[in-house]
Amino acid sequence: MIGEPILVMLVEDNEDHAELVIRTLEEHRIANRVRHFLDGQSALDYLFHRGEFIDAASAPPPHVILLDLRLPRVDGIDVLRAIKEDDELKSIPVVILTTSEAEKDVAKAYYNHANSYLVKPVGFEEFKKLMDDLGFYWLGWNTHPHLKE
Amino acid sequence: MKSFLRNWLTPPLFNNDETKTRQAFILHYILLTALIAPVCYSAVIYFQSPEQIERALAQSIVSEFIASLIFILTRKGYLRTAAIFLVGFFWLLFTVMAFARFGVRGTGFILGHATVIVIAGALLGGKGSLAISLLTILTGGWFAYLESSGQRFVGVAPNPSQTVWLTSSIFYLIINVVQFLSAWTARETFKRAPTNEVQYRALLENIPVITYIIGLGNEPVIRYVSPQIEELLGYSRDDFMKDPGLWKKLLHPEDRERTLSESEATDQSDTTFDMEYRFLTQDGNTVWIRDKAKLITADDGAATHWLGAWMDITEQKQSDEQQASLISALTRRAIQLQTAAEVSHAASSTLDLEPLLATVVELIRSHFNYYYIGIFLLNEPGTHALLKAATGEAGRMLIAEEQKLDVGESSMVGWCLTHRKARIALDVGEDAVHFKNPRLPLTRSEIALPLISRDAIIGAMTIQSELASAFSNADVTALQTMADQIANAIANAQLFTERTQLINELEGRNAELERFTYTVSHDLKSPLVTIRGFLGFIREDAKKRDMKQFDADLSKIANAADRMQALLNDLLELSRVGRITNPPRDLPFEQIVQEARDLLAGSFHQSDIQVAVKDNLPVVRGDRIRLVEVMQNLLSNAIKFMGAQAEPRIEIGCTGQDSNGMATLFVRDNGIGIEPQFHEKVFGLFNRLNPNIEGTGVGLTLVRRIVEVHGGKVWVESRPSAGSAFYFTLPVSASASAEAAN
Repeated sequence: MIGEPILVMLVEDNEDHAELVIRTLEEHRIANRVRHFLDGQSALDYLFHRGEFIDAASAPPPHVILLDLRLPRVDGIDVLRAIKEDDELKSIPVVILTTSEAEKDVAKAYYNHANSYLVKPVGFEEFKKLMDDLGFYWLGWNTHPHLKE
Repeated sequence: MKSFLRNWLTPPLFNNDETKTRQAFILHYILLTALIAPVCYSAVIYFQSPEQIERALAQSIVSEFIASLIFILTRKGYLRTAAIFLVGFFWLLFTVMAFARFGVRGTGFILGHATVIVIAGALLGGKGSLAISLLTILTGGWFAYLESSGQRFVGVAPNPSQTVWLTSSIFYLIINVVQFLSAWTARETFKRAPTNEVQYRALLENIPVITYIIGLGNEPVIRYVSPQIEELLGYSRDDFMKDPGLWKKLLHPEDRERTLSESEATDQSDTTFDMEYRFLTQDGNTVWIRDKAKLITADDGAATHWLGAWMDITEQKQSDEQQASLISALTRRAIQLQTAAEVSHAASSTLDLEPLLATVVELIRSHFNYYYIGIFLLNEPGTHALLKAATGEAGRMLIAEEQKLDVGESSMVGWCLTHRKARIALDVGEDAVHFKNPRLPLTRSEIALPLISRDAIIGAMTIQSELASAFSNADVTALQTMADQIANAIANAQLFTERTQLINELEGRNAELERFTYTVSHDLKSPLVTIRGFLGFIREDAKKRDMKQFDADLSKIANAADRMQALLNDLLELSRVGRITNPPRDLPFEQIVQEARDLLAGSFHQSDIQVAVKDNLPVVRGDRIRLVEVMQNLLSNAIKFMGAQAEPRIEIGCTGQDSNGMATLFVRDNGIGIEPQFHEKVFGLFNRLNPNIEGTGVGLTLVRRIVEVHGGKVWVESRPSAGSAFYFTLPVSASASAEAAN
């Protein structure tokens, strides 16, 4: 883990929220790299090396994926399902990061093998604390499987 | 002892046989005399010739014994045997006595045999007395021969004259008794003969049966008819005698042919005639007759005439008919009850209106064997009734043709719906109705029954029969009871259907509400997260005195607040669509399109899009402001998602109108199009396919809601980069709809 650059994939349609996540993570210098995708389709293109990400070298697999549920074009749950149904990708931890507290969404996420479900808190301090802990846990303490580049 | 003696002294009576009784009467008294005579004879001998008393007593005892035996035979009823025995015994007795004593010259031979001949005449008739006379003559001749040849009776001293006198007297007495008895019975017979004829005639003409004698052949002559005929038919016997053809004329028209042919056939083939038929009386009534006759033949075997009797069996026939009609009524009632029960059963086992009605009409048709059954249900405004279920091929076709009957006087069903009463129409009598439905050519009578449930008329049932007068007022009650049950079943099924629809609608609304709440909570929370998050950044920016970042972060907060306000406004708008509705008006859709275009004039001006409005736009019925909103949203979407199209083009038109009065309209563009998987999603609240294009994602949700509030539906047909076509249906104004239908 030490010295190895951690790649985080952030799938978030709300640019403000994406900025919140990136800036709070950066402040704590936990994340080395965050790649932000505005919708589910482009995130899947990246993971499956399609479209503009046809070149596998330019699209290394992320160590962790932060996934919003309500996304334009391809929904968050569909992105999750696609990842968890793929033999290569299913070992990547997927953390759901959403505003929805609906039980239905939580259940659906875990049913589709989400590794964690986090609700975006309203309030800066809380948001920062969550990102802190998320950074420490998933990018610090957590041991990631070895992924083929 | 006294009664026993009296009984034995009274001549025996044989009921029902006058001849026998009369013969027994004669026998009885002769025998009584014969029982007394030997006693008298013995007494005479005792006083006159005591030396002969032993012989006389022996003769008397034998006589008494034999007379007693014959007496018993008489009482037992063996009259002829008794008579033969009596005659034979007397004859032998006197012959033996003559042979023993004086031959032909004795009193016994002369008077004894004379007495026997008289008795034989009285008891055995002329032949009997002739036989005895011949026998006596022969015996007398033989005795005379014996005497003349000197073999017997020679030198026999004759009886003293007193003896002869006494003996003769006894014989005279006996002859007298016999003579008296014969004379008496003859007198009785003569006395009664005329009385019998009167009695028989009285009997014949008073019994409740009319007797007649009628000749043979095609024009038979009535030779006799008993006068009771007048009482029965109103015509006198003289009328019948004068006009031999009268009875034929009086035959009931329905019976005439079969009666006459049967009568002619019987003349030739049979010896008895037995038939029931009707006569018309003088005052026009009908009487039922049982005619039973016997063919009478002459001695040579040739038929001469019929002897017959007419019995009035009208009452019996009437009671038979009453019984038959009672049984038929009961059977009908039983079938009606059974059908009613099965109808109830069918009604309770299905709440689905269509199969329920189909089952009901088929049940009634098959149970009563009617020609056709149809059930009409009243439409919502109550102006006409539509055929919903009917039997047979005709029914299937009439349903397919959507047979409609107006409420009013123009049809049986219409009348029934107006007056809420059953009505019968028959193809007979003064008010004969001619049925003209080409699909039901065999109908000759019809009953229309109102279907009333909870005091509300919901339709009518028509039952039709091939018989001219299949329905009576008695049927109305029973059929109406059944119709009431059907009406209740229909009402229940309708309520159930409405309830199911309502539940489905409510469930739909609930699901929609749930989705809405979820969406709202999610989408309204997003800007809050942004605002609170960037507030934290601003504080940090201030500490760092990084004014550039401060401004940028502040504008993010402002944008998020604006967005929140927009979302709230949209939500409010959306909720208004369902709550506040302006009264519906007839609106030419062209005007709606124009208003929407005016509101979007700025956007159109910028984008240089060519708009083609087809000239087939209908006049729709609805809320003008809302419909303008629909067009505004659809057009604005078409502009927003036009993409980099060289010749941007929007087309507005109408594809037609369906039978429910809904027109299908469309807005078609040649923009970027939508992938098939998003065709439903685009209508979801705050669903945005492209976050880079401005908007809250409420537009199409609003369109769908407005269209649905108007009773229509909306859908999209589109492919990526091939443009989109949004279709929606709206009610056409009633007058325009009627025009289109014509």
